[in-house]
Amino acid sequence: MKEIIAVVRMNKTSATKKALVDVGAAGFTAEKVMGRGKLVEEKERIATRRANLMELAKAEDDKETEALIDSFLDGSRLFPRRMFTVFAHDDDVERIIHAIIKANQTDNNVGDGKIFVLPTMDIVRVRTGESGEYAI
Amino acid sequence: MLLIRAIVRPEKKDEVLYELSTAGFHAATVIDVVGRGKQKGIKIGGIVYDEIPKALIMLVVRDEDKEDVISVILRTAKTSAKGAYGDGKIFVSAVDEVYTVSTAAAGL
Repeated sequence: MKEIIAVVRMNKTSATKKALVDVGAAGFTAEKVMGRGKLVEEKERIATRRANLMELAKAEDDKETEALIDSFLDGSRLFPRRMFTVFAHDDDVERIIHAIIKANQTDNNVGDGKIFVLPTMDIVRVRTGESGEYAI
Repeated sequence: MLLIRAIVRPEKKDEVLYELSTAGFHAATVIDVVGRGKQKGIKIGGIVYDEIPKALIMLVVRDEDKEDVISVILRTAKTSAKGAYGDGKIFVSAVDEVYTVSTAAAGL
């Protein structure tokens, strides 16, 4: 038995839910979390991203907007994300991970999320009291 | 790899995150939680408060970084030199695999 923790973009929640149903692991727990990832240190990439964001803002020399965009990029900020927790049989883990990755990849190259796989000792279904593999 | 879950006082959250980042552990997930500890909550007057708000900081690190991360959290989450009830707890669990969604690559 494994516990799969996936931290994904907020707007990918329904895509992830659908992917989980399609792969046969409909049960999940989702939570709203804040998080940050590995710091991007390549100057060039940050500059491109910054230019893109400034373009979106369409502000003319607006100090506030600039400060806000800078805070997005310097790593000081936590971003909202959705955290899915799914329990699965060992054999299904690979398929589930593949499905989550496929549903969540974007063109941004960063910020799409992380997936962690943890070992699980035991699972108990409250309704029947059965435990182990049957309880998933 | 290890998953480190630290429950700290909400007012210490930013300081802990800043110090972790300075120590080279930038990536983290933060959740607002409520809970109680061994002291069964706080009793003020006749009322027992046992859903005390805390911040849960989750981070996955390499095995060899465990001690570093824990010492940073222990140092920054403490409210005084001696520490006080309610400063928090740290849990460490095993992680088998890690994947990055954007690249589909395995590993941290």
